[in-house]
Amino acid sequence: MNENLFASFTTPMMMGVPIVVLIIIFPSILFPSPNRLINNRLATVQQWLIQLVSKYMLSIHNYKGQTWALMLMSLILFIGSTNLLGLLPHSFTPTTQLSMNLGMAIPLWAGTVVMGFRHKTKASLAHFLPQGTPLPLIPMLVIIETISLFIQPVALAVRLTANITAGHLLIHLIGGATLVLMNINPVTALITFIILILLTILELAVALIQAYVFTLLVSLYLHDNT
Amino acid sequence: MLGTGLLLYMLSKEIYVVNHETIAGASTLIVLIYAIRKFGPQVGAFADKLNEEKVAKAQEVKDTAINSLKQAIADENKEQWRVEGRNYLFDAKRSNVVMLLETNYRERLLHVYEEVKKRLDYQVNLQHVIFRREQEHMVNWVEKNVIQSLTAQQEKESIAKCIADLKVLSKATHASL
Repeated sequence: MNENLFASFTTPMMMGVPIVVLIIIFPSILFPSPNRLINNRLATVQQWLIQLVSKYMLSIHNYKGQTWALMLMSLILFIGSTNLLGLLPHSFTPTTQLSMNLGMAIPLWAGTVVMGFRHKTKASLAHFLPQGTPLPLIPMLVIIETISLFIQPVALAVRLTANITAGHLLIHLIGGATLVLMNINPVTALITFIILILLTILELAVALIQAYVFTLLVSLYLHDNT
Repeated sequence: MLGTGLLLYMLSKEIYVVNHETIAGASTLIVLIYAIRKFGPQVGAFADKLNEEKVAKAQEVKDTAINSLKQAIADENKEQWRVEGRNYLFDAKRSNVVMLLETNYRERLLHVYEEVKKRLDYQVNLQHVIFRREQEHMVNWVEKNVIQSLTAQQEKESIAKCIADLKVLSKATHASL
């Protein structure tokens, strides 16, 4: 069981061919591009949803920040769809891999920081010192703020990875427990199954929320630095 | 039929292994089916409503355009009818003006006639006056000459005759009464 537990997190290979790229590209098929005025229901609902989310997410940015709209929208759609697809049995979720999340977080965070330094150098440097600190504490605080700045991308990536991985592990564990308990005591197995159902609902929520949180934080970093 | 047979075959031969993923899949399936049953029609109706609104907007634009064009055609027809009516208006105005001109002309003609008559009357009156003066003068001259020719003696004789005639007449009257 130990081997099986973590087997779902290895890079998926099919006959020795890494098909992880296909798995990452797969969710884009589920979002048809609306090219008519009146589309089918799927495209209409997706279009409405994307309009709603983008309206709320981009309302806090000024003109410069709103040039990131495409990036932020595709980010939230990608993370949300990959997380939701990972709840199906025998599926592989790319966002469980730290490598991929770091690959998403570090460039985005670095982009916001570099943009901030280029356009508003003084204000970006001023972020290192909160207002109203007493004089002797300044060196200490600058060091702390620098550390806190550099930990942001790591935190973004690790947050996403840990949440999704932990959720998947819990589902597998409780599923395994239900399976074993079915032979010993079916009633307990039923209770465990109900727990599993509740957990699935939670995981659905978590999948969406994680996507939202990731994108929100990136947009927050952007807002600070625009 | 094929599905059931295939499933049973795969399960019995352990081609499809029942492990924790099966349970996980089962729970996901239950949640998904419940959600779709409950919210499916609503979402469908919502999507249809969105599309209906889009179509209604486009339709409204088209209808507005058609209505405005129809209104333009009706207005154009009315203008054409008005233009026809305008000819009558012009004729009426023209005859009005002609009448005014004629009235003016007649007035002036009358004026001229009166002026001419006044001058001619003056000449006529002048002639009358001259004629009467001449007559009076002649009469006066005749009277003067007659009176001059009457001597005093003849005056006395005529007066005595008049008195004698009067006496005779009065006697005659007394007699007839």
